[in-house]
Amino acid sequence: MSRNDATQNESIGRVHRTVALDPVLELQDARPRFEDGGLAAVRYNLRLNPGDLVLVECPDAQQASLFADLCVGLLPLVAGHVRCMGMDWQSLDERRRAALRGRIGRMVVNGGWVDLHGTDLNILWPHLHHTRVPTEVLARRAIELGIHFGLPGLPVSVPSKLSALDRCRADCVRAFLGEPALLLLENPLDDVPLSLLLAFLSSLTEARDRGAAIVWITRGTFPAGVGRIEATSRWRLHDDGLFLKRGA
Amino acid sequence: MMRVRRMLAAIGRFTRGQARFSLMAFGTGWGVLREAVIPSTWRRTVRIEFWKTLQQATKGALVSVLVTAALTGFGIVAQAVYWLGFAGIAQMTGSILSTVLVREIAPILVGMILLGRSGMLTLTELGTLTIGGELRVLKGMGVDPFLVFILPRSLAMMVSGFTLGIVFSIAALLVGYIVCRVEGVLSMPVWTFFDQVVSSVHAVDYLSIPGRLILSAFAIGITSCLTGVDATADDDLAALLPRGFARGMLAVMGINVLFSVMVG
Repeated sequence: MSRNDATQNESIGRVHRTVALDPVLELQDARPRFEDGGLAAVRYNLRLNPGDLVLVECPDAQQASLFADLCVGLLPLVAGHVRCMGMDWQSLDERRRAALRGRIGRMVVNGGWVDLHGTDLNILWPHLHHTRVPTEVLARRAIELGIHFGLPGLPVSVPSKLSALDRCRADCVRAFLGEPALLLLENPLDDVPLSLLLAFLSSLTEARDRGAAIVWITRGTFPAGVGRIEATSRWRLHDDGLFLKRGA
Repeated sequence: MMRVRRMLAAIGRFTRGQARFSLMAFGTGWGVLREAVIPSTWRRTVRIEFWKTLQQATKGALVSVLVTAALTGFGIVAQAVYWLGFAGIAQMTGSILSTVLVREIAPILVGMILLGRSGMLTLTELGTLTIGGELRVLKGMGVDPFLVFILPRSLAMMVSGFTLGIVFSIAALLVGYIVCRVEGVLSMPVWTFFDQVVSSVHAVDYLSIPGRLILSAFAIGITSCLTGVDATADDDLAALLPRGFARGMLAVMGINVLFSVMVG
């Protein structure tokens, strides 16, 4: 190995080490400006390192949705910082913000499905937009994930024509496709069969092993299967802010 | 005193509201043109939306344009040729047809068809997505609604407007010629008739005619998309559609009047 190679490897290693030390998501005294829509304008603090899983209990769906929006830099702040993969949302221009959001997998309360396209295109849409991965490769990966979550393949009919359960499965495919660095899951599994729950939990573990951080927001109690995986911390999001649960 | 204040406030609100949308439309139009020349804008999602809209706007409106063109050809071209011949100024036929039909009527009629068939559809689709919160979800995924909806749709409508305008003009002239030929008013071959019309088009009209068609269709795209994206939770389709239609019509009329004043 030449000296140059050694220096290069050393510098690459240093870069890797630096990246690994950066939290995937960090809310540092972040206070949203938004006051009348459900999310309290108080200071929020949360830190997720690679591989972390944070469980957040939030009975209010709108509050949960706004909290997820806060994490992806959609809510303006009056104080503090929200950083994703070391980058402060507020210091990024619109294009960089959009590119960074492309590294986040989301499951939203209302699904966020666009009925102008088939479910297949809905699933592939963010990746077609942000990456140059060939469509065939993306479709193949989506089909594999679809089968893993119990779909026969990649549904082509419009999302509103699918059953609620199939839409939930498609939701899982969209969230886990493209190996996201951060997963924001709002009430992902409400009353779903055990097979889907197990598939979801195995994907969750796989994502954590890969280094992804996960925020799992739920309305009330978590499904029994969640007990099988070890969460980093448990939080409670209410009208008075975000608090660490006792014993978590 | 209170009544005067309230009236002034209402006038102020109305004026501000009107200016707000116009400024937004100008800004968005400029943004679309600026982004369209950046190669990285044309991602797969943008290309998919562009081709889909182009197909819907052009193919969807083609029959309507042909029928309207046939009726116009029957009503205007045949009558113009007949009465000009009757008045003994048949040599002005080409000039009058190119001025009235191709330059003045075609952009407005094509604009109206495009607004009704594609503009209203765009408005409904984007309005529904805005009110339902899907556009916000897309934004949360890093997919900018401006890039994936407003830009490709307004550009596709611009291309479609120009295409349909040319199709309309040719079809209207052709039907008018056939009617006159059948009634024995005209005896010249079709090529001579078209040559008469084309040779009477002034040099400035080679800019004015495409300019009217392109800008009218672009304005329809921008106003329809913006009205849809600008919807609030209090809006519904019953409120959005008339608003979008009025804005689209005003834009088409305004652009054509502006061209008439500036170019003549």
